[in-house]
Amino acid sequence: MLRLVRRRLGSAALSLLLLTTIAFVLSHLTPGGPAYSILGPGAKPDAVAAINHEFGLDLPLWRQYLRWLWALAHLHLGSSYLSNQPVGTLLVSYEKNTILLQLVSLTASLAIALGLGMIHGVYHARGAGRIIGAIELGLYALPSFFVGTLLILWLSMGLGWFPAGGLEDLRLDHQTFGAALSHLALPATTITLLTVPVLSRYFAQSVHEELGRDYVRSAAARGASPLRILFGDVLRNALRPLVTILGLSLPTIFAGGIVTETVFSYPGLGWLLWQSAIGQDYPVLIGIVLVIGVLTVLGNLLADLVNGLLDPRVSYA
Amino acid sequence: MRDGVAARLLSRRSLPRGALLGGLLLAVLILALCFALPLVWTADPYALNPVSPLAHPSARFPLGTDEIGRDNLARVLDAGRATLLVAIPGAVITFLAGLIYGLSSGLAPRWADAVLMRLLDAVLALPGLVVLIFFAAILRLSTPSLILLLGLISWPPLARLVRNETRAVRDRDYVQASRQMGAGLFHVATTHLLRVMAPVLAVNFTFLVGDMVLVLSALSFLGLGVQPPQTSWGGLLESALQLVALDPWWLILPPGLLIFASLLSASLIGQGLLARQGGGR
Repeated sequence: MLRLVRRRLGSAALSLLLLTTIAFVLSHLTPGGPAYSILGPGAKPDAVAAINHEFGLDLPLWRQYLRWLWALAHLHLGSSYLSNQPVGTLLVSYEKNTILLQLVSLTASLAIALGLGMIHGVYHARGAGRIIGAIELGLYALPSFFVGTLLILWLSMGLGWFPAGGLEDLRLDHQTFGAALSHLALPATTITLLTVPVLSRYFAQSVHEELGRDYVRSAAARGASPLRILFGDVLRNALRPLVTILGLSLPTIFAGGIVTETVFSYPGLGWLLWQSAIGQDYPVLIGIVLVIGVLTVLGNLLADLVNGLLDPRVSYA
Repeated sequence: MRDGVAARLLSRRSLPRGALLGGLLLAVLILALCFALPLVWTADPYALNPVSPLAHPSARFPLGTDEIGRDNLARVLDAGRATLLVAIPGAVITFLAGLIYGLSSGLAPRWADAVLMRLLDAVLALPGLVVLIFFAAILRLSTPSLILLLGLISWPPLARLVRNETRAVRDRDYVQASRQMGAGLFHVATTHLLRVMAPVLAVNFTFLVGDMVLVLSALSFLGLGVQPPQTSWGGLLESALQLVALDPWWLILPPGLLIFASLLSASLIGQGLLARQGGGR
């Protein structure tokens, strides 16, 4: 188990270092840069030089890189070129919103997917299973930005039920619970609609597999009722693969969140990533990539470990 | 890109009948729309008609016009060509990169395989869309570099699959026999391995095309993919979202439904192929 943890963390560290180094070099070689983002295209040369000096951008590249690595080792991610706030503070305040959104969506997705997947798995060759299968197939092909745009068009503009965005100043502590909830509704619905087919299909598959196993047959032969077999034995065993998928889809859910958050201008990490990409705000950009990379690795690791706890047969070769 | 191939393993009997045929028909329809219809519908996608901005669909403008009166049908078709002409070459590059990396790693000596796989782990540690946004932000992409970037970022899952298949097949008797008779690694790879893997590769290529359309559209929607004045389906949706208060459903539905149809078609073809190979139960 320790070996697995060490290997995973090792390759993660390698990949993050690789990526951020490439990013660092590329971002500092391209023309433009923060000075032009801040001052606009018609900036005067001396103003540009002053800003470059302020951010240490006039030093040779290798010295900037060493300075940056040194700061990184001390968890200093620098300051945003655009808002001048420390990157760490920015990340924490936006990450809170993302975690809230993802938790709400994941809870809803799991509740729906478990129900649908169970029905799909049990009746998989019959009418109900076929219909659910077709729905899953359809939902699976829906892109988040299309769903989001339609929801805004119908529920927000058409019916006026929910705000469509424009909540750039949403900080949860300044909002009433109801207002926060109404801002959450549409992005959470979008993410849920896209997560349900993936989870429910996995769950259906594993319910179906479990139902074909010997223990089910012998339990039935001993006279256990179908409901008892289904909820007593099959459910627990069928949940196990879902844990792996949840861990593996942590970054997927996260990456899906980038587009969804942007559609609704929901102030989460994904929206911040987009903002800093558009504004070429490199310190923030690199900081977010680091955070997402770490979360991805931790998610995968967690999935492996929990899977090992649920099933002692899993080995960590 | 949403998840691995395993996620698409659906039991065969719960796949709608004729999924493969339906998917193929849908693909032909989309291709015909984007590449053949412009020969008939020759309106200029960039010509302004200032007298009729945001016109509802009519005989003159079958899909209406956008905010500066450009013919929306012509724009959707033009955007479709741009999207597919980036996504399909991107899928080809991904496919080749994954295939070559996987084969090399699978046939290499054990230590080289270990090094290549560790490198793969490192690349896989980040979600593809994040890496794409990252590079798209730094590099400001032209169309060829966009194709290259799409291709070079999405290959690792396929490479791992090909490598595992290669490892499984390379020790079989007939491959060993062929090696004994003096066949080189290249010969083994091209005749035996590729033949065994062809069905799996066909399925994966189909899914790749769908993934590329999705990722490219998302990237363009975010303003980081295909750059104006060239339109793309993702770009059209983004500009329609800007006008959403004016209820321009005719600007939102066509590009959105076409992306949906492309993804559905790729999914149906891939799963149909899988079911025919007995991949599902």
